Amino acid sequence: MTGLQVQLRSASPIRLEAEFDCGAGELVALVGPSGSGKTSMLRAIAGLWTPADVQGHIRVAGQAWLDTAAGVQLSPQARRAGLVFQHYALFPHMSAHANVALAAGAGWSADDVQALLARLGLATLSARRPSQLSGGQQQRVALARALVRVMPAPTASRPDSAGSGPQDVPGVLLLDEPFSAVDAPTRQTLYRELAALRQTVSVPMVLVTHDLAEARRLADRVVIVDAGQTLQTGEPARVFASPRNARVAELVGIQNHFEGRFFKDQPGWGRLRWTDLPTCAPAIDLRVIDKNKIEDGTPVTWVLNGEQVDVLADGQAAPASDDGANPQGTRLRCRLVEVLSLGEISLCTLSPVGLPGQAITLNLTTRLLRRLNVEAGGWVQLLIAPAALHIMPVRASS
Amino acid sequence: MDWSALHVSLTLAVLTTLALLPVGLALARWLAVTGWAGRPVVEALLLLPLLLPPTVIGFYFLVAFGQGSAVGAWLAASGIRLVFTLEGLLWVSVLVNLPFMVQPIQRAFAAVPNSLREAAWVSGLSTWQTFWRIELPLAWPGLLAGMALTVAHTLGEFGVVLMVGGNIEGETRTLSVSLYDKVQGMDLQSAHVMALALVGVSLLALSLVLAFDRVGPLGRALQER
Repeated sequence: MTGLQVQLRSASPIRLEAEFDCGAGELVALVGPSGSGKTSMLRAIAGLWTPADVQGHIRVAGQAWLDTAAGVQLSPQARRAGLVFQHYALFPHMSAHANVALAAGAGWSADDVQALLARLGLATLSARRPSQLSGGQQQRVALARALVRVMPAPTASRPDSAGSGPQDVPGVLLLDEPFSAVDAPTRQTLYRELAALRQTVSVPMVLVTHDLAEARRLADRVVIVDAGQTLQTGEPARVFASPRNARVAELVGIQNHFEGRFFKDQPGWGRLRWTDLPTCAPAIDLRVIDKNKIEDGTPVTWVLNGEQVDVLADGQAAPASDDGANPQGTRLRCRLVEVLSLGEISLCTLSPVGLPGQAITLNLTTRLLRRLNVEAGGWVQLLIAPAALHIMPVRASS
Repeated sequence: MDWSALHVSLTLAVLTTLALLPVGLALARWLAVTGWAGRPVVEALLLLPLLLPPTVIGFYFLVAFGQGSAVGAWLAASGIRLVFTLEGLLWVSVLVNLPFMVQPIQRAFAAVPNSLREAAWVSGLSTWQTFWRIELPLAWPGLLAGMALTVAHTLGEFGVVLMVGGNIEGETRTLSVSLYDKVQGMDLQSAHVMALALVGVSLLALSLVLAFDRVGPLGRALQER
């Protein structure tokens, strides 16, 4: 078994229900708001935080770092976790080289450490103290210090100990919001370097971030964390396109989620009632694809993906018959309530006819608004394709 | 100048500092990191010598270790006398100097961010190695400050010395007690010399404390040796 497996459960001091894994060479991002427990999970892997009542296990390449059933709990020193702290936590009284050499085990000579620093672009800076380095440079020193814990030692140790020496203990690279304290251009550079690094280091990598764009850009898979719980795991594009429930949709920043009801229609098709609210009678139904996952008449949370909605001028005929792409789309007349211009993009709030209180938010190009010749207070039509709708069961607990 | 008194004062200052350093270091490091609920009580007890008149401490010391007490009688039977001797003076001096040694060291250890300890642990350093290689080098200026304050305060101590040590030449007569004698005897010339010497030493010690303060350039130079 390669990679990292985490399964943790605890009730205090914070509720924790974590379950995810990370393959060797894979980068998994724990994403969630501040205080969601993602950093606690990272610290639990490193052995820096272990709740008294914790149940579960942390395994790396089959070796148990924590296994409450078997009574195993390794110290942070024995775990071989390379951890990059949020504010780097470099030792201020030591040079960059000494910071890294301190964490390097047997098999790392001073020259090896220097070579690693050189690889991270710190060749001429290795004698400097952290206070003499920029934020981005400090971040690289912190990364080097974490890497020496998890990379195979460059100098081959005793040949007879192959496969069993302490150098062969599997490692995990843990990154706690490593890019939050540097400026934007430096961050872009560091992103590229991390991507390059992944070509050569094949340990599981866990990144904690509250930045969705960062997670989307760097991670092979994301784990959505909220209130100490891992809610959904999957490839970024998949999680962002099909959030498992309303809370995930909210956390990944999807606007336009509504509470409605699903009905089965002719085979393969269903009807999505926009809302059950009595103020919105008569009901407005949208045509959706039936994936046979939801029972007829079930209350659902649903999401309208603004990128797949066409905006037409009021009274304009649908172009559907021409391109034939979305012949089954639903047409909805909306009043443009508010337009916030953000340069090329305008953030528009729309109020659909017959659906009081149900606002839709769309990011429209300012060019499109000009072409439609419409401004706040005006009217437009939305053409909502079935593919723009994502339906989720309502969560059991509110 | 009363050279014998200067000798007694310096001996007492050096011995007090040396005896107090390990005790103060252990106490300060423990107080800096402990989450124990009784910590404020321990801190208050340690700070008490700052507020109490030295005569109170001297009085209780005499009550506890004088000939009239059980402990004092037992010590006397073992051939140990703590009242009116340099040994006794050393004990009480260690006691009253606790806050001067512990406070700066405790603050220095508390100023070491916990993330540095954790970074050391995940780098493979044991708690003991973390103490020697990370915490102590960073808290070093606090140790120097504690030592300088202890020396200066011991040289200037008067009330406790008179209560516990009395005024025995070459044994317990310190510079500050001798100065009192000279003033009583109207020898203002000698009094001036000794007063000036005490002012000089105290000023030097305080300057050292401030120079080795964490934020000062000297303190930083020490940390980054």
